[in-house]
Amino acid sequence: MSVSEDTLYPHAYFGDQTEKVAQLRCLLAEKFPAMPPRAGGILRTGLAGVDAAEGGLRCGALTELSAATGAGALFIHSMFRMVSQERCFAALVDAARSFEPDCPAALVRLLVVFCADAMQAVKATDLLLRDGNISLIMLDLQAVPLRQLQRIPANTWHRLQRLAEQTTAAVVVLTPQPMVEAAQVRITAGEGWTLAAQRRWQRDLIAAARWRVFVRRNAVHHTPAWESERESAIA
Amino acid sequence: MFAVILLPNFRLQAALRFREEMRALPVALMDEQTPKAGLLEISEAAALAGVMPGQTSPQALARCAKLTILARSLEQERSAQAALLEIAGTLSPEIEATADGFCTVNLRGSRVNDWQALCASVVEALASLRLRAQMGIGPNPDLAFLAARHARPVLVVQSPTAFLADLALHELDPAPELLAVLRDWGIHNLAQLTSLPRGDLMDRLGPEAGRLWERAAGQTERPLRLVRVAEEFCEAFDFEHEIDTVEPLLFLLRRFLDQLALRLGNAYRVAGQMMLTLPLANGSAYVRTFTIPSPTADMDVLFRILHTHLDGLRLDHCATGLRLLIAPTRAERQQFQLFETPLRDPNRFGETLGRLAALVGTENVGVVEMLDTHRPDSIRLCPPRFHELGSVAAPADDSAVGLPLRRYRPPVAAQVRVVRHQPVRLESARVCGTVSAALGPYRASGGWWDSDRWSTEEWDVEMEAGGLYRLARMGHEWRIEGSYDEPLPENRRGAQALVAIPEPGV
Repeated sequence: MSVSEDTLYPHAYFGDQTEKVAQLRCLLAEKFPAMPPRAGGILRTGLAGVDAAEGGLRCGALTELSAATGAGALFIHSMFRMVSQERCFAALVDAARSFEPDCPAALVRLLVVFCADAMQAVKATDLLLRDGNISLIMLDLQAVPLRQLQRIPANTWHRLQRLAEQTTAAVVVLTPQPMVEAAQVRITAGEGWTLAAQRRWQRDLIAAARWRVFVRRNAVHHTPAWESERESAIA
Repeated sequence: MFAVILLPNFRLQAALRFREEMRALPVALMDEQTPKAGLLEISEAAALAGVMPGQTSPQALARCAKLTILARSLEQERSAQAALLEIAGTLSPEIEATADGFCTVNLRGSRVNDWQALCASVVEALASLRLRAQMGIGPNPDLAFLAARHARPVLVVQSPTAFLADLALHELDPAPELLAVLRDWGIHNLAQLTSLPRGDLMDRLGPEAGRLWERAAGQTERPLRLVRVAEEFCEAFDFEHEIDTVEPLLFLLRRFLDQLALRLGNAYRVAGQMMLTLPLANGSAYVRTFTIPSPTADMDVLFRILHTHLDGLRLDHCATGLRLLIAPTRAERQQFQLFETPLRDPNRFGETLGRLAALVGTENVGVVEMLDTHRPDSIRLCPPRFHELGSVAAPADDSAVGLPLRRYRPPVAAQVRVVRHQPVRLESARVCGTVSAALGPYRASGGWWDSDRWSTEEWDVEMEAGGLYRLARMGHEWRIEGSYDEPLPENRRGAQALVAIPEPGV
């Protein structure tokens, strides 16, 4: 049995509907005007790959860092140093109580929240986002078992994104694999560290990680979710 | 001139301060310590019903079945007296706390043109604190007191002779024997008394009669026993029944803060700390102190802090009372620096911390403090003080080596096969496999001088299937302390299918 191309890609059908959907969206936008998102700034990361692609982390937006745990930990520690330099405040919501500090000077501006599970961590992030005092919120879910992460409802991320839009905080969700649909930016990193990494400076490791940035195209353009990959591989 | 501010039925007013709904009802006050002394004070409605002070409760209830008898509360009287003195302190620094419910203020030297307006503003200020006041102004303290007694609610004595002439003799509270003699003589008011020669009166009735004559003539002068107004902002309430829900507490706290914010405003102070005390049914008390991150007199901010805390509070016993004490401080005035990014709203942040503490526990939220030891995993979380941080950036520390550790809390027990003093095989609930490379041992020990002795030998290992881990040996026991890098979930999921893995750190 053959399947026609129209069945797989019903362009004609959707072409008729597109206009109606656009009209419906306009109608909804008029009827339920949403608060316009604030023009967020950029928070430098100190990661050459990310800063070169986006200038840093978008404030007022959800960013997902989907990488192996080693890269996640490098990202977190790199952000501590940037927070200390920028003299702003950061929060780390650790869903697996796995955070191990190594730089006491950078910790004075860091609020750490140890949570019992992923859902509790999401609630804590929600509270911090509503607070509006913290410039950078990192929700670390990398060490949480996958089964627990899969139980987080998808609308949770949309809710966090909506909350983030109302603030000037940069929100980073660290996950072991891509799962935050509502993220505006997704960062991935190279994997497979060997024991030789334990003899290198941490700053060299950060530079050696292959940070790749994916940016979500604006929803109003009705185009595929992930616009492009802005890759900056640092040897 | 002197001013006297009088709170009539002071003890009853103090008891009814947060029971507004009872003000129009027949209410009497009784001291639980001395029940045989009878009723101390009664409300106007009770007086109209025929109840009189001094009656025992059965006698009073026989006169008025709807009479409500309240217990006297010393805490509430203290709060009301403090509020009175604070208001008096806005007039002059020379204040005498003459007795409970009235104070005398020396206004000599103050250039006041409109005494009536001044008194009206004081009475209004006390009314906002739920206290009904009468105020009298006179050339000496005694005259001012007499004026306050007759004020409705303000009386300024311009001509002492005319004011005193019509007053009855008992207004000066003479000794009963002396009053009886004077009445026998047909003397009933002060004008009649002052018409008698003072010397002859003293010859016949003694020096007490001379002092009475001087008071009746408005000629007494006495120095005030000055007091310094203590900056004690406290409100208290004793419940008649045990309270097991938070709503009555919040209702009263709102009223307390309403009053305390006014009092703080009168003293040009803001709240630096709040101490909440809940006396419990078993005789103990729950006490909690709140430090206000950014001192304020904003009632809503203070209430939110208390509300957030009480929302998550669980007590073993019911509350029988409520007490809120505010430690005042001066309002902060600071100039932020150009490139500084301080907390936008420190009080809101404090409230968020309270909510987070309620969610995850107080010990699980805060700023990391590393303990003064080399023992692994020696950290604790302390309450953050972001608003006190200076604008100086911490020096960048680039001296860290290697990948940061993700610590397993608690550590995972493991079985390690060692060949030629090096780990070669790892078996645990979390990771299994052959060790392809290892770095170590890194030995550390401490606490040898006391019973809390510890010693550890750490190894960084790379697994053949991928992943970097830290192993630690304490005595003969091995455990995985954490990971530096773990394989991506696809690989881990495969491992999960083989062995049941407990959730880390839960």
